[in-house]
Amino acid sequence: MKITDAAVYPYPLGDASVRRLALEAAALGFDSIVAADTPSGTYGGVEVRSGLMIRDVPIKDVISAVKRSKDSGRVISVNAANNNFNRAVIGLKGVHILRGIQSADKLAFDHVAAKMAADNRVAVDIDLSPIMMGRSVVRQRAIHRYMDIMVLEQRFEFPITLSTHARSFLDMRNVRDITGICSLIGMDIMDVERALAGVDFVLTPPVPSVRVIA
Amino acid sequence: MSTRPPTLREKRRYILARIEPAGTMLEQKELYYAISDATTSLWGDATTAIITPAVVALEFGHVVIRCRRGTERELAIALSTVTACRDVRICLRIIAASGTIESLRSRFRPKKTPKAKTQPAPEPESEKTDTVIDAGIEPVLPECTFVKKTFIIVQCNGQKVDVIEKGFKNTNRLFLTKDDLENLNATTISDRI
Repeated sequence: MKITDAAVYPYPLGDASVRRLALEAAALGFDSIVAADTPSGTYGGVEVRSGLMIRDVPIKDVISAVKRSKDSGRVISVNAANNNFNRAVIGLKGVHILRGIQSADKLAFDHVAAKMAADNRVAVDIDLSPIMMGRSVVRQRAIHRYMDIMVLEQRFEFPITLSTHARSFLDMRNVRDITGICSLIGMDIMDVERALAGVDFVLTPPVPSVRVIA
Repeated sequence: MSTRPPTLREKRRYILARIEPAGTMLEQKELYYAISDATTSLWGDATTAIITPAVVALEFGHVVIRCRRGTERELAIALSTVTACRDVRICLRIIAASGTIESLRSRFRPKKTPKAKTQPAPEPESEKTDTVIDAGIEPVLPECTFVKKTFIIVQCNGQKVDVIEKGFKNTNRLFLTKDDLENLNATTISDRI
């Protein structure tokens, strides 16, 4: 099980280089990070996974982008929009994470989408930055949405990932802090552990329950 | 007014946190306002009144925060939401919690070696810098190049290098490593990173 921060943005998107973020991640107790638009590799004992974040594009463009980088080993994530879009994205083979659910419609992720996410092993990302940096309504809305997601997660058991969306190492938090923040949305330690291993889970191909021999 | 006997006083706990980025100059009062604001924003006035956060010490890049016993968890969560102190971006990394300030001070105060006692007393200017820069930080290099621009190194600790672009237009701090400076361009890192 690899403890992973599912989204960080190194320089030039942020103000810290990917190496610095990897160093800090190691100090904060992470085994790997998903860095946007960065080649994958290992630095300071932390595995840097290349991440492709697709956002604000129609479903056709999402399909072509996913096709292009299907076997590239990148962690492909798509920003959530309305319900139809989300269902279409979850049904796509090659998509690993559905992001930005806190800023999507109220009904963007319903029980049908949750069931589909569980069947297709598509994780729903919990972005901790609105809780850490947001104040008043922004934070309240995010906490409410995440609590709703956790209710569906308890029922359908789809994968969850946790991300800080750090653009600087100052935005990163250690595992203990993340556990504390996640307790605000009703996640216990076991849930947090499972969520931190979420990226590893969605990247590992499923083991078939029945194996045909000869 | 006479002070209460120890058995009647409310029990306190102290949390030690490191301030990042290293070398940030902060005032104790401003940091208290930032922490109080974060606690009130997250937990509300009623719970903040129970927590009663207070900054009791700010030295050597570390801060000691007092709270009521039993509310350490709430304060720790609130501290993780502190992102700025009067427009200066900071981050508080919690190191330990204790029942006494003195035990926490022993964790971050530089230990005096017998050799240091024999040395002559440092000049007043160097004393000032000691309060800002942590022990173990390497001597600061003057300049470096990164993505074909010249930067001034403001902090250097092991592999970690903090730089600010030379000039007066862009004074944002960049957080790099020594390897980044050698390769000149972090965006074109090869597969071997």
